[in-house]
Amino acid sequence: MPGRTDEETNADVRMEEDGAPTSHQPDNEEEFEDAQQFPEEEDEEDDSEQRVRILPGSTDSAASFEFRNENHTLGNALRYIIMKNPDVEFCAYSIPHPSEPLMNLRIQTYDGTAVAALSKGLKDLQDMCDHMFEEFSRTRDAFLNEMRD
Amino acid sequence: MAPFVKPSEAELERRRTIQINDETVTNISSTDFPGHYPGEDNSWSFETFKNTFRVEHHYLTPAESSFSLIGADAAIANALRRILISEIPTLAIETVYVYNNTSVIQDEVLCHRLGLIPFTGSKKGIREFLRWRRKAEDGTPGPVYDYNTVQLRLQVECTRNPSAAPDEREPTKLYHHAHVYARDIEFVPAGRQADLFQAPEDIIRPVNPDILVAKLRPGQVIDLQMHMHKGVGADHAKFSPVATASYRLLPTITITRPILGRDADKFARCFPRGVIALERVSAAEANTPGSGYEGHEGEKKAVVADPMKDTVSRECLRHPEFEGKVKLGRRRDHFIFSIESTGQWDSDELLLEAIKTMKKKCERLEKQVINMVR
Amino acid sequence: MSREAYQVPTGSQAANPAAVGKSFDAYGGGAAEVGPQMQYLCGDCGLKFQMRRGDAIRCKECGCRILYKERTKRMVQFEAR
Repeated sequence: MPGRTDEETNADVRMEEDGAPTSHQPDNEEEFEDAQQFPEEEDEEDDSEQRVRILPGSTDSAASFEFRNENHTLGNALRYIIMKNPDVEFCAYSIPHPSEPLMNLRIQTYDGTAVAALSKGLKDLQDMCDHMFEEFSRTRDAFLNEMRD
Repeated sequence: MAPFVKPSEAELERRRTIQINDETVTNISSTDFPGHYPGEDNSWSFETFKNTFRVEHHYLTPAESSFSLIGADAAIANALRRILISEIPTLAIETVYVYNNTSVIQDEVLCHRLGLIPFTGSKKGIREFLRWRRKAEDGTPGPVYDYNTVQLRLQVECTRNPSAAPDEREPTKLYHHAHVYARDIEFVPAGRQADLFQAPEDIIRPVNPDILVAKLRPGQVIDLQMHMHKGVGADHAKFSPVATASYRLLPTITITRPILGRDADKFARCFPRGVIALERVSAAEANTPGSGYEGHEGEKKAVVADPMKDTVSRECLRHPEFEGKVKLGRRRDHFIFSIESTGQWDSDELLLEAIKTMKKKCERLEKQVINMVR
Repeated sequence: MSREAYQVPTGSQAANPAAVGKSFDAYGGGAAEVGPQMQYLCGDCGLKFQMRRGDAIRCKECGCRILYKERTKRMVQFEAR
């Protein structure tokens, strides 16, 4: 919701009193801060928050994991690659409710732990990404050269 | 343990073809998982993937590209498509400060329109220098700096054109600034942005300068400032780097029994141009018993020329004369991608960026899993 | 900022709540001259002029009956969504 705000310099205070969202005020040069240094944190996304947890009722060889802020994009790709693991008896994912940013993944193994299968799945996906990246760049460069000739 | 069984080529072909029948589709799910076929090894192998995964490029310009990913599963292709649409960051107008707007277009609508204009500028500046605008502790948008915000200004006033012909009816000639275009938006560099976005090809500007933003009449004014931030398509479509990103499976057409003469013409017309070609039955074919060509030497026959162009309309399945002579299908592991960029990224960079994003996701989650166990 | 704090732009800063209260029962009466002056824009000729409660709703120059209030002089912030 766009809120009406004030041009006066004391607007920030007034807005807080009213409980309206603090919004950035018009761009007087003084308010546009030129930080000469970047914020210390290099990684742009906040990694401090734990986004994966094991759901209750899980055992070593049969576990359900809950991923926060993940969706079908990773869910289905991870399901596929974990199903490719011969130690895995069963793997499936679901999004329990569309309005919650949660994705659940169930892994049952014949051999080894479910956590190991999940880790292996994530590693295998990374290998796959590496190769796809190389292959795509290589063929693209070849294609561009071919077009130029 | 007994050595693994290798399925025959014909069996593999059957497995990777989705059958398209007149009313149904069959053999739709992937079955290349360990334990699905007894005695076969379908486990994940990086070496096998390296040998089977291929990329073919069909068309490539900065704005648009088309290519095939062959040998990947739908789960992977779909993940890439979804990342292209919703997870690759771009810069877009996020906040608008309206000082004056006396045009007939309402403030809200005008701001919404401004948000949807795609912008471009120095790739280095946008991708490396500019960062996310962080949230403050209480979840409200954080402070703006030169490294997370780009300022723009739009100041136009419509005036009469005194030199217009007296009988002129065309508003664009009768008035100055009767139309407000995206090109009227000015970049206001702050701090280090002045160096990074200095060169004419680096300056932050609309991808298409001719986007009509509003129409004015004499005396009407639009005066506003804008702040651009980085965001992802999952948050709002204006941040999506692609106009469209989609894939389709490669169609397959198999002519199982000869289609000859006038039927061949009709058959070709069941498909888009270029899919089916007409050839003459050769003497050798006509002399081969059991080929179906006996006694038809020199007649026209339908052959499949380019199934990629097919739209799989299934028109050929509606005609009784082709019954039992043709099989339609799609190749399960052949994804024909088509990507249209909005201009901030080049279309060929986009898939690479999507792959990088997917890898980064996995890396992060790997750490999270280690954390979880600890 | 709450809606209550919003102040209608007026030409003369004579906006006096007491005066408004008084003119209520005097509506249509002889005391129509009281009340704040408001700035209006003519929809036809674009003339800016002031009006009070009880004044005829007409442009003082051309007699046009379509009048607009002035747009706020404040900056208004929107999300481009």
